[in-house]
Amino acid sequence: MWVGSYSDPSPQTLFKLPRPKTENPFKGGPKAPTRLHSLNPCTRWQVGTRVFILQRKLYSIIFLGSQTVIFSTMVRSKAPSKKQQKKGIDFKKIKRKLGRKLPPPTNATNTEIKSKAIVLPEQSVATNKEGLAVSKKGLTLKELLQQTSHHNAKVRRDALMGIKDLVLKHPAELRLHRYAVIEKLRERISDDDKVVREALYQLFKSEIFPGCAEDNQGLFISLVMTYIFNAMTNLSIDIRLMAFRFFDLVVQYHPPCFSLYAEKILQSYEDILRKNQFYLEDKGKLKSTLYGLVRCLSLLPSKKPGCQKNILGERKIHAFEPDLPTENTGFSVIIKKLKELVLVLINCFQDFIPLLNSMPQLDAQSFDCILSILQSIDIAVRFFIYGNHEESPEANPLQVTWDQTLLSGLSKKLLGVFPLYPKHHLSVKEDDRYFILNIVITEIFLHLREWICPSANVFAKFLEFMENALLGKTCSSTRSGKATWEKHVPSLLPFIPKLVSEVTTDWQSHLLEAFTKTFRDCNPESSLKLACLSMIEEMLIPRGDMHYTEASDPVALDYQTIWIRELPLLLILLGDKWPSSSQVVLHLLLRLGQFACWNSSLIWEYENTQFALCEFYSTCREGNIYYGPFMRLPRDSQELSICCLYYFSNFSTLLLKAITSCCLCPELEPYVLFRIIEVVHAAYKAGHIQFADHISFFITLLSRFKVYPENICPVKESDVQISNCGTFKSLTCMVCSCLSQMGDSSVVFRILEKAILDLISLKPQLDNACAMLRVLIMLDSKPTRLSEQSIIALSNFLPGYLMDVVHCIPEVDGNEVAVSNHVQTCRYYLLPCFFLFDRSNQLVKLFLNVMGSSLTDSSLSLESHNSTQYVTDSLSRMNITVSLLLLIYKDVKVQKIMSLFRTEIGSIMQSIASLQSSEVNMTIEERHKFQCSFERLKIVASSSPVVYIDDASISLSGA
Amino acid sequence: MDVVIASSSIDGGIGCWDLQTGAEQLRYKTCASPPHGLVSVGRRFLASSQLRDPSATSGHVLYWSWSKPQAEVKSFPAEPIKPLAADSEGSYIVGGGSSGDIYLWEVATGRLLKKWHAHYRAVTCLVFSEDNSLVISGSDDGCVRVWSLFLIFDDVRRQQASHLYEYSFTEHTLCVTDIIMGYGGGSAIIVSASEDRTCKVWSLSRGRLLRNIVFPSIIDAIALDPGEHVFYAGSRDGKIYIAALNAESSPSNSYGLHIIGSLSDHSKAVTCLAYSTERNLLLSGSEDGMVRVWDVKTQNIIRMFRHAKESNAQGFSR
Repeated sequence: MWVGSYSDPSPQTLFKLPRPKTENPFKGGPKAPTRLHSLNPCTRWQVGTRVFILQRKLYSIIFLGSQTVIFSTMVRSKAPSKKQQKKGIDFKKIKRKLGRKLPPPTNATNTEIKSKAIVLPEQSVATNKEGLAVSKKGLTLKELLQQTSHHNAKVRRDALMGIKDLVLKHPAELRLHRYAVIEKLRERISDDDKVVREALYQLFKSEIFPGCAEDNQGLFISLVMTYIFNAMTNLSIDIRLMAFRFFDLVVQYHPPCFSLYAEKILQSYEDILRKNQFYLEDKGKLKSTLYGLVRCLSLLPSKKPGCQKNILGERKIHAFEPDLPTENTGFSVIIKKLKELVLVLINCFQDFIPLLNSMPQLDAQSFDCILSILQSIDIAVRFFIYGNHEESPEANPLQVTWDQTLLSGLSKKLLGVFPLYPKHHLSVKEDDRYFILNIVITEIFLHLREWICPSANVFAKFLEFMENALLGKTCSSTRSGKATWEKHVPSLLPFIPKLVSEVTTDWQSHLLEAFTKTFRDCNPESSLKLACLSMIEEMLIPRGDMHYTEASDPVALDYQTIWIRELPLLLILLGDKWPSSSQVVLHLLLRLGQFACWNSSLIWEYENTQFALCEFYSTCREGNIYYGPFMRLPRDSQELSICCLYYFSNFSTLLLKAITSCCLCPELEPYVLFRIIEVVHAAYKAGHIQFADHISFFITLLSRFKVYPENICPVKESDVQISNCGTFKSLTCMVCSCLSQMGDSSVVFRILEKAILDLISLKPQLDNACAMLRVLIMLDSKPTRLSEQSIIALSNFLPGYLMDVVHCIPEVDGNEVAVSNHVQTCRYYLLPCFFLFDRSNQLVKLFLNVMGSSLTDSSLSLESHNSTQYVTDSLSRMNITVSLLLLIYKDVKVQKIMSLFRTEIGSIMQSIASLQSSEVNMTIEERHKFQCSFERLKIVASSSPVVYIDDASISLSGA
Repeated sequence: MDVVIASSSIDGGIGCWDLQTGAEQLRYKTCASPPHGLVSVGRRFLASSQLRDPSATSGHVLYWSWSKPQAEVKSFPAEPIKPLAADSEGSYIVGGGSSGDIYLWEVATGRLLKKWHAHYRAVTCLVFSEDNSLVISGSDDGCVRVWSLFLIFDDVRRQQASHLYEYSFTEHTLCVTDIIMGYGGGSAIIVSASEDRTCKVWSLSRGRLLRNIVFPSIIDAIALDPGEHVFYAGSRDGKIYIAALNAESSPSNSYGLHIIGSLSDHSKAVTCLAYSTERNLLLSGSEDGMVRVWDVKTQNIIRMFRHAKESNAQGFSR
């Protein structure tokens, strides 16, 4: 019986409990208690204890696992205190004289006991934290949060560390209580103590923001932002600076928050930057603030919205798309604020100038500050010029609101001091720093060029700097200098196409020369190279505008040819190590092929790249084939390079050879192989490939393609991976269909006949021979167009070929499926022969004659009749002849043809019979087996063929 | 009467059959046209561009009236013309030249009204929009461009515009083989097929790529289902693939993403497709010279017309 807490402790109430429960409580209980204490019945008992009542005594037993603990309180004491007092007189007090002390005896034991308090917080039952997430110090999240508002800074700091520690161990805790945590922690943003703020920053940075990244951030951020703004207006400059750092952190994890509070934020930045007395002293803090500003401003839309959303696979075509406000909205209102900020930034920059002159050296911190200031100005200027301001009342913010103070401020205070150069030349590192600053100023100038209308002098100054920058003159020649150059020059490149089209011819050639040098000199895999490539694409390929394509000026043309010539070399240089760069080059090549307009010298240059491109595919030196990077590039790059082939209007034989050897490489993916054939055929159709070249491309493929494994066996499911037999079959099929599209098949046949027969007489592998026979019959018609000579050649070749087929495809005994599979496999190789037999009776006659003579003469002239590759001894030859004839007779139509040649068949039979009788080394089993099949053959051969009405029983089922 | 007309690149004339009865009508003589080179102009007469020797400097376009087998009018444009298209009323004909120029003739007078440089390489296909205000052209350079005839005829705006076209889609890497345009005027979709084995679906209103479908083989012809649920893509491997537009497609199927199934009768490459909206029939022309009529519901061939030994027929119904 479970009893709750008794509210009435009087014994009378207790006795009123039902009788049966009081009779023998221990019988019903799970375990008898070992010891019983007398208990005061008036005591209150906790919920969940089991209570027994026995003769006015109340016992409670708490079950903890298997142990039974007897729990008792307030043991009744029976007047103990009085008796003890009487005992006191047992000891007599000894009186001693003052000031005299007995020396301690020599054998005395030191009985002094020293003790220290041991605190065991976890032992108490009331504060059991088992199952709760605790930090290293055993504090729960709640306790830690409480401690964050402790008056002692050290405790606060420790609490923050504790939270970090706890969250690290129990990430789920943060997810559960994130709002509670953030509501408590945000109070610390404006904490007076620097250490606490720093700890909070670290906590936010490492745990809380990454931990809350995925869920609804809007609310989360708005909780923090109020306190950040509060801190930004704090009296203490340190707290204010720290608030900017916090804000920077928020922006990193939730970029849209800038657009929400943009105006307020910019105002705060403006306010803090106006206090110019402090930043010259504490540059470290200013630096981090400015970093934050750069990050915020870089969120401004400064490019034309040309970003393409990726096409999702599962999207519906006509799906409803809500008109969500784009990210740009809301920015137009801040133009005014931003202008004020730019003015403040310019003043900031100006304050630094005398500092630069006075300082012996440009130290890292001031450099970072200046750089951030310049970058902020640059971003703001870009936003003014290119940003989308549809919502602003002014049509074009530049003309109307681009007020003169700003423009003159920019041109005088910023551009006027250009170029910055070290006063006291001390280190190369300084050179690079000044170089970076100058590049950013140049960028600002080039953006503003159209609005400030610079004088020729100023313009020349900047152009000169650009030329020198591209040539790498202004940069130090050390390794770090080179790295700086590669990193910062790309930002200048986007201006070149426009500049080149606008400056005088003199400057044009200077700039192009410098650009070309940059393009050549930089590392092939660097981002600078990629930037150069995209600029080349812009300058080579007209963007939509059809008007000025023909009017390419001679100065640019020289450089354009250089660039085009450089492309294939670059592609080979890149190899397969930087597939993304290769992809870019290939894309540029493809675009060139597509858009290099007719009659311009560019198309001529493009045509010429194919010779250099050969090496990209494969080269043949001293009989060995060296594969180029093409083979090892990923598939999409391979596809792109194949597409480039289509646009060569005069496909060279050399390139086609290189591609053919790639096709024959066993490592090439079948997909790519088929794509190559498709594109090459499309190029032929478009008239880009010579007829002879195209034919030899196909024939080479068919005759040289290495099929493995060499022995044909019925394809099992598991073999598909190892064998490329299937690939070759589809290749044959594809080549056949391409050849049939090439024009009048009789003409194509005439051209191919000789070549194929020559190749066949070289006894290629079975698969290759089969493929070539298939091409022949596909182009041939009934009756055959084969010449007399070819028929003789074929009749000499076919017996060996057929016997090899029968030999290589071993017969299988067993279930029906295996047998029919075997017949199917054989049929693929036999079918072309059947077609030939069907079309020319003369061939059949000659064929049977050769078969017969090969049987009889085999012992005499093995060498001369060595038409087969595999079958050598006469015994197996005999066996195979029988099974071959059986296979031939299986086809109804061929059976009909064979019935016309009974005499020839008869003579073969006869020679087999005579051979068999003369054969001595045959086991009985072999003889029996042979006899069986021979008898079967006899029956089939002698029976008159079944006449089918269906005349088209032969069909190119495999093809 | 619904008729099917078909021409081929080998001189076999223009075959003409009644779609309902299957009876062959008049065969119009001497016609060897390139793909997309046959057009019925406002259902009043037929026009077909003719294949020329590569060396030829001028084009050749023939015109037949419905009642006579001989060509009645011949014209010789300045350069070889490949694709032809006519607006729905039959008042204009546009033709694409091998240099990339597009020519626009007025039917009533036979005058060349406009000629503009549209592509860097030969124009391969041309399509008018439903309301005849747009012309969409595909080219050998893989470019698909949308032209507004309002802009083409507006000399003032033409001077100001930086480019003539409305959109230029350059995502195809190889020659564009066919283009179709959906329904719905300005917010229609455009489907283009290319030798790069892909079909791409573009949005006319947004001017961007909506969907890219990779096929197992090159697609030479496409036809749109009237409900725009699917489109049919005739490929060089002889199959007609059914690709999903609005229809549901399971991601795991044998042909690839968005390809629902295929129609196949083991014929040679499919060279052209047309859809008869009234009868819900799909017509396919094949390299083997046959025009097949498919019932798309049952996926069976219900009729076959023999055009020639070899053909790249341009079948459509009237």
